[in-house]
Amino acid sequence: MRRPLSLALRLTLLFSISAAIAFSAFGWVIVQSTENHFKEQDGDELVVIADAVQAALLEIRTPQDITFLEPRFADILVGHHDASLYVAGPDGKALYASEGPDLSAVLRPVPNGSAANSVRAWNDADRSYRVLTESVYKRAETTSGPYAFAVAVPIDDHVRFLASFRRNLSLLIVGSIALMSLMGWIAVRQGHVPLHGIVEQIRHIRADELAVRLSPDDVPAELTELAISFNEMLERVDEAFHRLSDFNADIAHELRTPIANLMTQTEVGLSRARTADEYREILYSNMEEYQRMAQMVGDMLFLAQSDNRQQEGSIAEFELTNEFHDLFEFYEGWADECDVKLDLTGTAKTTGDRRMLRRALSNLLSNAIRHSPPGATIRVNLNVTETGETRISIANPGPTIPAEHLPRLFDRFYRIDRSRQQSDEGVGLGLAIVKSIVNAHDGRIDVVSDNGCTQFVITLPAHSVSDLSSE
Amino acid sequence: MKILIVEDETKISEYLRQGLSEAGFMVDLARNGLDGHHRAMTESYDLVILDVMLPRIDGWKILEAMRDAGNTVPVLFLTARDGVDDRVKGLELGADDYLIKPFAFAELLARVRTLLRRGAAPAIETSLIVADLELDLMRRRVTRAGQRISLTAKEFALLELLIRHQNEVLPRSLIASQVWDMNFDSNTNVIDVAIRRLRAKIDDAFERKLIHTVRGMGYMLESNDGT
Repeated sequence: MRRPLSLALRLTLLFSISAAIAFSAFGWVIVQSTENHFKEQDGDELVVIADAVQAALLEIRTPQDITFLEPRFADILVGHHDASLYVAGPDGKALYASEGPDLSAVLRPVPNGSAANSVRAWNDADRSYRVLTESVYKRAETTSGPYAFAVAVPIDDHVRFLASFRRNLSLLIVGSIALMSLMGWIAVRQGHVPLHGIVEQIRHIRADELAVRLSPDDVPAELTELAISFNEMLERVDEAFHRLSDFNADIAHELRTPIANLMTQTEVGLSRARTADEYREILYSNMEEYQRMAQMVGDMLFLAQSDNRQQEGSIAEFELTNEFHDLFEFYEGWADECDVKLDLTGTAKTTGDRRMLRRALSNLLSNAIRHSPPGATIRVNLNVTETGETRISIANPGPTIPAEHLPRLFDRFYRIDRSRQQSDEGVGLGLAIVKSIVNAHDGRIDVVSDNGCTQFVITLPAHSVSDLSSE
Repeated sequence: MKILIVEDETKISEYLRQGLSEAGFMVDLARNGLDGHHRAMTESYDLVILDVMLPRIDGWKILEAMRDAGNTVPVLFLTARDGVDDRVKGLELGADDYLIKPFAFAELLARVRTLLRRGAAPAIETSLIVADLELDLMRRRVTRAGQRISLTAKEFALLELLIRHQNEVLPRSLIASQVWDMNFDSNTNVIDVAIRRLRAKIDDAFERKLIHTVRGMGYMLESNDGT
């Protein structure tokens, strides 16, 4: 994938493009209205002359009248600086031609009706004019064809003015665009200064300084969100980091106990000659420690794989009711001896790795049995919510777990009473394994403990087989 | 019964040899892949225990070569990695069973015996008899010294497992997996309770005890009158 353009370049480009569009439109409008203004001015002048010429032509009654026209036309032109007039008779011959350009060329293509009375630009001998041509029909006249005339005013000054106006305006616009781009670039650079500040702060955070936080109040409003979310991320990293180092310490601690036992027993055993029975006793005792360690290593491996979703998965849909039937059958003898009853209500299906889920449910159930007082009943309830989620609730009466322990209950090696370590409780990874399995199924697990009742609730999303196996 | 062990770790291979020899098997030991490959291809064994992580020629190659040569001897492979790939690969290449290190020796022994039995033609049994205990497999009835004993379905399955593996130590994990299909360590004394209950029904009232606890390892049903 190509690296996206830098923010500074993007913003500068954006500034330049919008400035270019705005200024160009502005310039175009100004030039257009100036041009139109000149056009109208010229047009008005031409129309005044044309009206007078037309009036004069309409007054012609006899061929003699024509001879009086010449001074009349000259009069009309007085006061119209530089204007020229050319009048042609019905026979196409010139009746009058003022000084200036030869306007006969303008009239030569006999103007038809549509071209009549039109103002247009005309060039002659390097000079520019605006001309108006018109035909005058006389009803009383017996001779065929109309009188035609053309009036012209030179517009060189206007053209020159407009050209230089355009040039200056263009230069101004280009200059403004460049200035705007530069300003934009500077503004962006300036705007990024606080960002560099944050980068500097972040750069200095080391693994052992995860407690450092950015101060959201010291950054511009736009960056507050970034600072806050970065702080939240730091929080999570910090927590995970501590958890991990706690975990390492826990592993060391958990291993130290069995290793110390093994070493002491073996050392004492070897310190003098003993009977075969005594040696056997030491070996038996050692084996218990070994089994404990092997189980711990196995559980940790399982956790690592489950967390990374590396477990072999045979994903299928299955009845949770059947699972609990099997689990109850497995645990019933033990529960019986503990004087604990098992009770299942509701039905539900789910999709997932049956063996893994069975392990999770078994861990919860054995925990429940272990912590229930004699005479208690463990209630398992299955149901499917309206949104299709599967809820598995396992509740047992027993001592209320203090609220401060609840969030950490699923942590590895976490024990409510650190000093107490019952031999039948496993290695303290049971609930961590449950959570890991539930997570691998995109589900969640919650625990509530109050009024002498502890309840674990697993919620599994409504999966199809393909959802999970494609992961 | 002759078993070939291909394993390069000295300590494990020595203990395996000792343990299996003491269990009554003839054991050949190959300490590297080349030697293992040679022996597996040229000599005849009833079972091969194969470590997959071997120097020079790994276990997979040996297994592949054996199966390519049409050698159908049962193969149990040992893997240290609890990985999906290893298990799937091993079974796809034609291995019969696997164990993940570290494993209990009793578990290995039980699996070895199961694999060796698998080769033999299954006898159509209608009943199992140990000493004065009789299991009627068709009618799911148990009698001891002529006395009818009523067992639950799981108790029956447990007793059947013990009898089929008589004189073998069965680890708790194997019992949980075979009888209840619980393929993990439950960290509870569920199996001990189940055995205690079974004992109460078939052993307590009789002089001769059949079910024995093997400390630190598991349980065993002893058929020969050892005492």
